[in-house]
Amino acid sequence: MPRLTDKAWSPYVAGALIGLLQIPAFLFLGTALGASSSFVTVGATVAEFFDPGIRAIRYAAGHLDGAKNWWQVALVIGIAAGAFASSRLSGAVRRGVAPVWKRATGLSSGGRFVMAFFAGFLMLMGARIADGCTSGHGLSGMAQLSLGSFAAVAAMFAGGILTATLLFRPVR
Amino acid sequence: MSVITAILLGLAMGAAFGFLLEKARVFEPAVILGQFQLRSFLMLRVFLAGVAAGLVVLAVMTGFGWAKLAPKALLPMADIAGGLALGVGIALAGACPGTVLAQIGSGYKDAWFTLAGGILGATAFTYAEPTLRPALQMAGQGRLTLDVVTGVPFWMLGLGFAAVLVVALVAMERWRPWREEIGQDHDGLMPPREATPPTRAVAAE
Repeated sequence: MPRLTDKAWSPYVAGALIGLLQIPAFLFLGTALGASSSFVTVGATVAEFFDPGIRAIRYAAGHLDGAKNWWQVALVIGIAAGAFASSRLSGAVRRGVAPVWKRATGLSSGGRFVMAFFAGFLMLMGARIADGCTSGHGLSGMAQLSLGSFAAVAAMFAGGILTATLLFRPVR
Repeated sequence: MSVITAILLGLAMGAAFGFLLEKARVFEPAVILGQFQLRSFLMLRVFLAGVAAGLVVLAVMTGFGWAKLAPKALLPMADIAGGLALGVGIALAGACPGTVLAQIGSGYKDAWFTLAGGILGATAFTYAEPTLRPALQMAGQGRLTLDVVTGVPFWMLGLGFAAVLVVALVAMERWRPWREEIGQDHDGLMPPREATPPTRAVAAE
């Protein structure tokens, strides 16, 4: 039986429980799990302070208000809270930069911070171009047998595998 | 549903999501990099288990008429170009748009930079969207799903596909048990390979 204080659960149990989160998503919101459009909601909300004209962009207007948009923002904030609780309960608290980065890239912490910023930029650009990320296209799109999601997930793995094998040193 | 109710529900669901991502170790950068270097398969194990459970859930819920599918449209240009950029970004970030928040919760500092870059990237896309739209919508096919294309009921295909995934996961576990991929510090990182030839002393790291 998995305990709350365990550092790791079976990936099959944890993964299946994540899949069950589709039940409240579909039942209460009529939508599937997703994460990346919340970045548009937050970004456009911040941008609106400096540029009220952003509302004229239909894409921005469609992400600024409403229960579904703010539900997803709350969902990703909840992810941080849940991971915080889990890591404190088990004692698997992390500090600084994961040791894998030094081994894969040789970068210092400062270099890694710069790399992470550009990586985040590219990651969300890609997710918004594809209209979904690992959650929206991966978990949810595949579970709905959506052809577009199969294509996006295949392209995502292709991009990830190429990058990790060509750019990084072997991590073990 | 009011926005406040939606936010409370989102926080509760997100807390469960984040708790499970942390227990599954799939938020660890070494797990993502290991998967993309095809050395570790933890990410695929979590991902396929999540898809299988989602398929069963949606087969039951749509079968009894409790829910309607909400699939995304098939946009070949957007799906492939965006998917490729997303994959490159995930490899460089060592995180997905969702798991970067789990990295922040567990304490990784670089994840704050990934998050900031992500918000800026999403905002930049918002401004570019009206210009990009015609190219992204090119050859758009609408909300195509496998059951619509084949004419087989969703619940039948869904349960069948879920069964295939379960068999694949059982085979994967027999090939290499998941515990072998967790690593000493539960971060998916294995000790470095010992240098060859064995006659030379190996310096401890």
